[in-house]
Amino acid sequence: MSTNVTKRDAELPDLVIRREFEVSDLEQAQTGEVAIKLSWMERIWNVDAVRKLVILLSLVAVWQVYTVGFDVEPLMLPSFSDSFVTLYNALFHGDLIYKIWFSIKVLIVGYSAGLFLAAVLILWATASRFGSDFIAMATAMFNPLPAIALLPLAMLWFGLGTASLVFVLIHSVLWAVALSTHSGFEGVSQTLRMIGRNYGLHGFGYVWKILVPAALPSILAGMKIGWAFAWRTLIGAELVFGASSGSGGLGWYIFESSQNIETDGVFAGLFMVILIGFVVENVVFRNVETRTVIRWGMQR
Amino acid sequence: MTSAPAIQLRPEFEADEIGKAATGDVARKLTLWERITDMNSVRKLTILVIVLAVWELYARWSEVSELILPKFSKTAEALLDGVFNEQLLIMVWNSLTVLVAGYFIGLLIATLLTTAATMTRFGSDILSTLTAMLNPLPAIALLPLALLWFGLGADAIIFTLLHSVIWPVALNAHVGFMSVSETQRMVGRNYGLRGLFYVGKLLIPAAFPQILMGMKIGWSYAWRTLIAAELVFGGSISDTSEGASGGLGWFIFANQMDLRIAHVFAGLFAVILVGVLVENIVFNKIENRTIRRWGMQS
Repeated sequence: MSTNVTKRDAELPDLVIRREFEVSDLEQAQTGEVAIKLSWMERIWNVDAVRKLVILLSLVAVWQVYTVGFDVEPLMLPSFSDSFVTLYNALFHGDLIYKIWFSIKVLIVGYSAGLFLAAVLILWATASRFGSDFIAMATAMFNPLPAIALLPLAMLWFGLGTASLVFVLIHSVLWAVALSTHSGFEGVSQTLRMIGRNYGLHGFGYVWKILVPAALPSILAGMKIGWAFAWRTLIGAELVFGASSGSGGLGWYIFESSQNIETDGVFAGLFMVILIGFVVENVVFRNVETRTVIRWGMQR
Repeated sequence: MTSAPAIQLRPEFEADEIGKAATGDVARKLTLWERITDMNSVRKLTILVIVLAVWELYARWSEVSELILPKFSKTAEALLDGVFNEQLLIMVWNSLTVLVAGYFIGLLIATLLTTAATMTRFGSDILSTLTAMLNPLPAIALLPLALLWFGLGADAIIFTLLHSVIWPVALNAHVGFMSVSETQRMVGRNYGLRGLFYVGKLLIPAAFPQILMGMKIGWSYAWRTLIAAELVFGGSISDTSEGASGGLGWFIFANQMDLRIAHVFAGLFAVILVGVLVENIVFNKIENRTIRRWGMQS
């Protein structure tokens, strides 16, 4: 014991005694600039839209300069201006606008039919355990199956044309929406459920007034995924057989342009695909979200 | 204003016939039948068997043409035939190798993009502009261009796969990074984490649920794109010369062209099987080992 103490003492450094001192000339504490005025440049640069626009413009500029300055073969990569002129001509002097309308029509029919079927399935699933098991089985099996893989079968069953397009679209929407709605319903807290029961809600009223609002974030997420799958499936499907159905859609326009090696036409089609996708995702769904889940404080 | 109702006097009475309180069956023994139907796997298996039986019986008795709807037994035979005689497994393998290559390169690029985006505000702006523009663009629409730029073959498919993976992964990871709580960020800064360490040790674990979600979405887009690419451009994109046997999408496409519908169904079964395996086994495993174990998701 005593050896231990001496050992510890031996490790201690020597005691250092510092001299006492008094600081007599501390300056008065000063607060620097709390709010500096931003220069015009900084204020403009702080606007999100401006920065994004600048990025977009510089991307376009790089593309244009690269294609024009380096004499890139227009068949491989047409310049931005060429693509834009082609788009303008196709929209206002060609029939691109009808092709887009054709695609959107099919998409809306397929999407709403898919939503409707998903709603029916989900109602059945909330009503009975057998239904719930069935949904769980069917979604686990069919959700990983790309809708486009059913296209050959659909063409066989419904012939070439809108009916088979609608069939694959339904398949692409139905399972994604049913899956996330079902798991959303299962995640509704027991408290909310009991409140609903307390109000005497059951059957359809229970689903509509309790489960749907409580699970809306996941329902919306499912609808967004469903939309994305449907949009991808539609473009993919039109790439195959817009030809045979007479008036092809947007996908067919891209395919046709690429077959004729009119690459500027391909880019014009891609512009429209991006534009439509952008509008649906960032305008339509964004609006629905701000009016529901964001306003209700369920999602930021 | 309504007047108060008159007070009613009820006669007093004593209830002496109330029996002793008895508790009913608190825990009733379930019958064997109830216990069996309570098992999830039994119920699901039953549903599967019923669906298959309905299919088989319908195809048998309604005299639907074999070309419209082959019997289930024929489809199962075709699946075995495909596996043992027509190199179906090799085709699945071919598709998967392309998919895995595209997927991982895509993940890598998405990681680089997102990491760069966390460093500066300008980088974050570039990423959000690009994802907003390119995420809604179906990768398959780029396939014609990819064919033009890279020629027929795996390169073109990998290019489209990259496109289908990068944007959803980058989008979700970026949103996840942005919503990491200020407290956790400050903890990280307090530990002196900066740059790559800050991203790797703090942002990625904190945003892992969203990143995983992005990876799942990216996988499902990539899987759809691959099958579509092999289907749409059929033989022209898969190398189907002697020896090479193309991919799974090509199996479906070629058999549909030959009107061997049972084999088409067999191909679809294979697609479902691969999809189920990846979604329910691979991703579930990852979830169990990370976000579930960390208690971030139930």
